Amino acid sequence: MSTPPLVVMRGVTKRFPGVVANDDVSIELRAGEVHALVGENGAGKSTLMRVLYGIYPPDGGSIEVRGREVRIHSPRDAIARGIGMVHQHFVLVDPFTVAENVILGQEGSQLLHPDEANRRVAELADMYGFQIDPSARVEQLSVGEEQRVEILKALYRGVDLLILDEPTAVLTPPETSALFANLRRLRETGKTIVFISHKLDEVLEIADHITVLRRGKVVGATKPAETSKAKLAEMMVGRPVLFRLEKPKTKIGEAVLQLEGLRGGRLRGLDLEVRAGEIVGVAGVEGNGQRDLADAIMGLRPLEGGHIVLDGRELTSISTSEIRNAGIAFIPEDRQDQGLVLDMSLWENGVLGRQDDEDFSRRGGILLIKRIKQLAVRLLQEFDIRARSIETSARTLSGGNQQKLILARELETDPRLLLAAQPTRGLDVGAIEFVWSEILEQKAAGRAVLLISAELDEIYALSDRIVTLYEGRITGAYAPDAPAEEVGRGMLGDVAATKAG
Amino acid sequence: MATIEAPLPTTRERVRPEWLENIGGQLLALVAALVIALLLGSFIILAYGESPAVVYGAILQFSFGSKDGFGYVISIATPLIFSALAVAVCFKGGMFNIGVEGQYLVGMVVAAWAALKLDFLPGPLLMWVTILFGMLGAVAFALVPAVLKVKTGAHEVVTTIMMNGIAISLVAWAINGPLHFTQKLGAFNINLRTDPFNANARIPDLGHRFGVPESAHLSWLFPMALVTAAIVWFVLKRMRLGYEARAVGASAGSAQAGGISIGSVQIRLFILSGALAGLVGMQQLLADKGYLPVQYEAALGFTGIAVAFLGQNSPLGIVLAAILWGVLARGETAVQIDTNVPREFVIILQGILIISVVVTYQLAQRRLLARQLRKAAAVEELSDSAAVEDIEGLAKEDR
Repeated sequence: MSTPPLVVMRGVTKRFPGVVANDDVSIELRAGEVHALVGENGAGKSTLMRVLYGIYPPDGGSIEVRGREVRIHSPRDAIARGIGMVHQHFVLVDPFTVAENVILGQEGSQLLHPDEANRRVAELADMYGFQIDPSARVEQLSVGEEQRVEILKALYRGVDLLILDEPTAVLTPPETSALFANLRRLRETGKTIVFISHKLDEVLEIADHITVLRRGKVVGATKPAETSKAKLAEMMVGRPVLFRLEKPKTKIGEAVLQLEGLRGGRLRGLDLEVRAGEIVGVAGVEGNGQRDLADAIMGLRPLEGGHIVLDGRELTSISTSEIRNAGIAFIPEDRQDQGLVLDMSLWENGVLGRQDDEDFSRRGGILLIKRIKQLAVRLLQEFDIRARSIETSARTLSGGNQQKLILARELETDPRLLLAAQPTRGLDVGAIEFVWSEILEQKAAGRAVLLISAELDEIYALSDRIVTLYEGRITGAYAPDAPAEEVGRGMLGDVAATKAG
Repeated sequence: MATIEAPLPTTRERVRPEWLENIGGQLLALVAALVIALLLGSFIILAYGESPAVVYGAILQFSFGSKDGFGYVISIATPLIFSALAVAVCFKGGMFNIGVEGQYLVGMVVAAWAALKLDFLPGPLLMWVTILFGMLGAVAFALVPAVLKVKTGAHEVVTTIMMNGIAISLVAWAINGPLHFTQKLGAFNINLRTDPFNANARIPDLGHRFGVPESAHLSWLFPMALVTAAIVWFVLKRMRLGYEARAVGASAGSAQAGGISIGSVQIRLFILSGALAGLVGMQQLLADKGYLPVQYEAALGFTGIAVAFLGQNSPLGIVLAAILWGVLARGETAVQIDTNVPREFVIILQGILIISVVVTYQLAQRRLLARQLRKAAAVEELSDSAAVEDIEGLAKEDR
């Protein structure tokens, strides 16, 4: 290629006290490509792009845009040079319309012209094939639509390079496909896209070039045609990674959990049974009642009807703490909202749910601090949770370590049933492998596992039986080797499905 | 394990306990806030043509220059410790009890009733029973907003503000009605108060043992306040209720999923808060006046909010903040007597102090969290063995 690359970062180094986030990193971004930046959490992907977007000043190295060396001092600077970034967490004004959000700060005059703004945003959306109503209010949009608004905001400001930080982490599979269609359209019009991700299937699907970072350094640059998921994962983690773990053979025992006609919230008569030594995977597009199912089992939401039975004991109208004591361990889908108290210490989080145990508090309500701390030390050791000390707050842990702490705490109780909702959401490859093998170990130990996941990969990797959830009902049961198309039909509500063998 | 050439953290910092880091940081923030407030206050003093050194000197002289000065400071601080603790207890559980004001007023009325009607009780028993009734009255009054919150979701800020209005009327009704003055004392028109209490109901003076005149009303209630602060610390840090309260306050969803009943925690916190509020009025009722006047000292509940805030809702911080508040209140007299600065200057200074505390604490907390996050990030970069060593070291310390 004769034209210079759009952006060249040369020898960029960024240090934080005690950590080198980027160590002599060089990368070239060419016009009209989708460039994937992959690596584990903490590998320095986001830091590198934040340097490019002007959020962090680099400690060393240089940046060239269109062949000229530049210093980017702020995001405003970056946008002026045609570089835009969409963060994982959106920054939109909820009560404003799509168009108002897009033009915010770029209104042009003191007098607002809503029709004009709507028209211009609609034109922009049409040009790139974005399906969105400019006059809709942001608070009414789905997550996927909000992301489109963020991308439109950047495009409205005339950027040529769009950085997307883990854009699919918050999307359902159909939303991801829609995003990819948009990205391809953007590429056709000559825009450059940096796609930060650790979902390797997606990277292989959409990227033209792939750069792999590990511990702040570039450890490889490749193309989808020249690599594979396994090779990429090995580069990221530094050792071979198993994507299909060996499912242990277990004797499937009697029913542990029976759900009968659960109704309430999005649940509309859900029946399900989980037996000892069995992992039942609930597949489904998000928003079909997954959250309500988990909350109902844990006694966190009222039911309008139905029965929840564990080992023959009715759980339907007892408290959450009694349900836990009956032998259910819970990995919630939102670990920060239902799993950990982020501003409390690790040892305080490690005992959450068991503070009533006579092991951890006296009858008068006095906590046995020493024992609780010993428990925390043990949990940290057994699950290899990397933390400065048990006194540090849970907020300071990475997502993977937060999830490990929840797993450690929940599995410590020797439960009858493990209820795992989206257990690997937002985790990187190494942590996913860890969580998966822990879940399989529960099955090997003869426990029942109810897995709720929006990731079909995960369902296939772990389940002995797959069921599909659609609009609050189970629409099909499948053997673990059933073709994905069949399961997919069940996920979309096609009830004519084969029974599992 | 991969070898790492990058200059990763070579010396692992000693694991300093978080509480030390927190207290160190908070103390620094408090001192900084105080310095900033005094500096800003200096400009106001200069505008009056006075010297800041003289004015601040006078305030300090009045508070610490003599035994009785300090006695006054302590007796001003005593009820504020109780009311700030009452506010803090609810705050830890994520609730804002603005009703400490009303709760302590009702506590005073019920305590006055007990002191007058149960005066047959022997010796110091009457005092303890009176205090107990004060606490029970305040608890009963606090339970109304608590139950409304748990059962109907009515926000405690709205309900407690409304309850405060009811409490003020209740005091007036009690003094004019069931507890009205019965003794004839010549021509004096002193019927806007209750009868004086039996001496057995009063809290004995403590100050005279240290040479503080009885007019300062430094009573045994102050050591009781210190003990109460220690108990509240213990409940919050070492007991299940405090643990559950902090979990509910910091993340209701996680607490609930962990099996904590949020409603039950909220009710128990309001009971505790009410019991503490019941002690607020005892200084003026049993240590100072010995009867319930219609012109009682009001707004102690509201001041408690400011003191709790200044002490960052920690029991130790609250004790210190209440004493600081006592110094400033004493300073009102000082500036009136010794300087040309109007007494309202002290009120302005209190306001400035609170604002500067807000700002410096926010900054300090942000920096502290940023530091912890950085250190945590450093630990994640460390090799497995190093992290394990860290934890093993801890395990030894724990044994």
